[in-house]
This record gives sequence, C-alpha cells and structure tokens, in this order.
Amino acid sequence: MLRNTLSRRLPFFASLFAGMALWEIVGRNSSPAFMVPLSETLARFWQLVDNGQFPAQFLDSATLFLTGLGLAIVVGMPLGMLLARIPAVRLALDPYIMTLYATPMVALIPFILSIMGFGFAPKVLVVFLFAVFPVLYNTVEGARSIKPELIEVARSFRSSEWSLWREVMVPYTLPFCMTGVRQAIGRGLVGMVAAEFFLSSTGLGQLIMSSSQNFDTSGVFAMILMIGLIGVGLMRIGSMIENHFARWRV
Amino acid sequence: MTKHERPAGGAPVSKDSARIRVNGLGKHYGTLEVFRNVSFDVGEREIVAIVGPSGCGKTTLLRCIDGLLPVDEGEIWFDQQRVTSPLPGVAMVFQHFGLFPWKTVYDNVAYGLRMAGAPQAEIDKRVPEFVKLVGLAGFEKAYPYQISGGMQQRCGLARALAVEPSVLLMDEPFAAVDAQTREILQFELLRIWEQRPTAMIFVTHSIEEAVLLGHRVIVLKGRPSGIYETIKIELPHPRTRATLREPRFAELRERVWGTLMAEAQKAEFELEKP
Repeated sequence: MLRNTLSRRLPFFASLFAGMALWEIVGRNSSPAFMVPLSETLARFWQLVDNGQFPAQFLDSATLFLTGLGLAIVVGMPLGMLLARIPAVRLALDPYIMTLYATPMVALIPFILSIMGFGFAPKVLVVFLFAVFPVLYNTVEGARSIKPELIEVARSFRSSEWSLWREVMVPYTLPFCMTGVRQAIGRGLVGMVAAEFFLSSTGLGQLIMSSSQNFDTSGVFAMILMIGLIGVGLMRIGSMIENHFARWRV
Repeated sequence: MTKHERPAGGAPVSKDSARIRVNGLGKHYGTLEVFRNVSFDVGEREIVAIVGPSGCGKTTLLRCIDGLLPVDEGEIWFDQQRVTSPLPGVAMVFQHFGLFPWKTVYDNVAYGLRMAGAPQAEIDKRVPEFVKLVGLAGFEKAYPYQISGGMQQRCGLARALAVEPSVLLMDEPFAAVDAQTREILQFELLRIWEQRPTAMIFVTHSIEEAVLLGHRVIVLKGRPSGIYETIKIELPHPRTRATLREPRFAELRERVWGTLMAEAQKAEFELEKP
C-alpha cells in the first residue's frame, strides 16, 4: 500500500528533489547579491524564526490578511445573494462590479493612500478589495443558477421568504461562495503583500523590503519561500472547505 | 386568501363529497391560449387522471390547481377556500422529483412538515413513518444523488404524504423513471392510496397509467385545449396487477386511446394544411 502510494507519487517527489538540487547548485554558483542556495535560505529563515522577527511579522500579516478576507466574505456573500434575488439591483450595480473586478487593484493603492493615509484600515481595505470580487461574483452566479423547479417546490410547500433563503438559497449557493473564497484567498495574499509594500510597511512585506534594502538576499528568498508555502497551504484549506460544502454537487 | 376576502356568496354549492371544484378555468400566456372552460370536480376519495397530448397544458392546469400559477378565467375551490396561492392540505409530487440535493432523504421528507410549522416531536415521529410507508427505510441518511430515480420519487412522494394532505397533485410523477420501476411505483401508489385514500389528480401522458389509477379519466384536447371527454373507469378495487389482465381494462384503454388518437390525427392534418 505504502509502496504503491510512493511509486504513484514518484514524479512529484523526483521533481521536488530536482528543483531543490537545481536551486542549491545555481545558488552556489552565482553572486550572493542575486541568488543564494536553498541551504542558506533555510538557515536564514531559521535565524529569523529564532530571533523572533518572523513570528512577530507573521502574526502582523496574518491579522491583516484574515481581517480583509473575513470582511470580503461577510460583505460578498450576502450582497451576492441579494443581487441574485433582486434583478433590478443587479442590473444597476453590474457595470461597477464588472469594472472593479477587471481593474488591477494595485492601481487603486495610491488613491487609497491619499485619502486614508497610513495605518491598519487602508491596508485592510486593500486586502478587502482584492478579495471581495471573487466572492461576490461567484455568489451571484451561483445563486442565479438555482433551478426554478426548486423554488417552485418551496412555493408549493408554502415556504416563507425567510425559509426560502434558509432552506434553499443559502445551502444551494454555499458551494459557489466557497469557490469564490478559494480564489479570494489567493488574491487576498497578493493584496496583503502589496499593501505592506506600498502603504505603511509592516509584516512579511516589510521583512522582504528591509532584507532587500540591507542586501540580505537570503532573507528575501526566505520570505518569498515562506509566503509561497503559506499560499499553497491556504489554497489547500480553501479546496477542502469547498469540497466539504459541495459534497452533494455531482 | 383569508376568510374576509372571500367573495359574497361563498363557494358554489356542489356535490357534498367534492373536495376540489374547478369552474370554467382559462389560462393564457400572452397571446397563446393554453386551455379554456375547464370544469370538473374531484371527490374526497377519488383519483382523477388527466391525459392529453404533449403541450396540451395539463401540467399548467395542475400548477394552477396548486395555486402556483394564476388563472385568467374561472375559479378553483378547495373545500370552502378559493385557490389563489398554495394552500395547506394540498401537496404536489413533481415530475422532476424536486428533491433538495443537499438534504438527506430524512430531511427532504421532513421539509414539508417543517414548512407547515410542525413541532420537532411530530417531525421525529412522522418522518420515519412515511419513509417506511414508501419503502425507503434504511436510506434516511442517503443523499438524493446516492439513490436511484425510482427511490428519489419515493422520497418525493413521502415528502408530499407526510403533510397528510387531503388532495394530492401528481405531475407525471413516474415519467422520468424506467419502465419496470414505473410499474412498481404505480402499484405502490395504489397500495398507499388504499391505506390512506385522498383526493388525487394524476396528470400523465400514459393511457395505461391513467386507466389503471383513475376512477375517471379526463381527456384534454384541442388548441386551446379543453375537456374533450370524461371516461368513467369502472374497474374493481383494489386494483392490482390482475387488473391489467381484465378484458374491461383493455376495452377502456382502447377507448381512451381512440379518443386521444382521433385528436392527434386531426392535429396532424391541420399541421399539413398550407
């Protein structure tokens, strides 16, 4: 059994090992100003953990990310369902939503900076703006795709509007919302780093910036690697949540 | 509609056993007139089957009787209440089953009771009873996608029966299952009806099904459609597989067939006209 799993996963591990080896070799043969080997990156990462810098900044970033993402979910899901249920509101707001969804959010950062300045709130707004549209968009499309037959069944059994939402609209739409949340996790992470770069410098973004300014290439690589791994982990969690809610969707 | 809003004079006086009374019903979608002047009664313990060619509006008629669609002419009475929206005491079984895919069999059956505001204790008592009645015991925790079409419709039937309606509206309920399952379900329905007789309107495009189940068969025809003929089905009860072998069954089936086909041929001739 174990042997079987291992042989099936062989390409995965082989590729991972080759990648790590390549990083190590290229790193050892280039100037430390541009690139450092994996071993040095990991050693530097352990240093940052050990001296408390990474844990503190990680907590800082996590707070920002989770606040922004949480707001995006709290706003995006109910608003999305409302837009799906009331066509007039949807038609009215559609051009704004489409435009904002298509706009690269980074372009809005100078504007946010000029009206909100530095501090926690503008950074949360950036994460929120990055994350809210996938949630909103998927929720609207999901809620709109509900079969009219099911609404008819609810009406035939004399469902109230409130029961229709609780028993039919929300459970039906939830898996679609979760698809949006999974996408929002990725975009929110981008928003988090962008906010930490361009607004008041804190968190993992600040660690990257300060390492870069100090020519601490191994520090930069350590942080990029960590953010990447965190992103992979979050996406995994997102997929798990999505699958959990979509068990019935075959 | 509340009692206060009822028009003066109340419900039209009719046979005292009539549970559903349909009076001069007409319906159109825009300029398309679906049916006109449809009138019939359904007794307290009577099964009325409605057959007609595809697109004759039999499903629309049933939705009007459930109060899901407004009518343009005429009126529908359920006991002393005029039907303008879905009423308690009337339950519908859908061709597409209409099960909620995120709910288990148990929760789907409980849905109607919950919407009717039944207390939890009653739901806990009644749901297993009706799950068992339709032969789904042991599948309470299954999701609709995990069970066959026939079982899904058993679940749909249990959901409707659980609210203990005095009128059951069946919208081609067995049209989406395979032939053998369909036959099994027909006899299951007869068995359940013998145990708990109610008024039932059964819409189908299967003549055999209509004759087997119906006490009367209403044939809808024409454009716009109307009641072409009402055929009394004098077959003994309870109806079983043996009913299918009776000469009288074959005669009645031929009779309904002839009525429908005369119409179908005429319609085809009309289509061929320039």
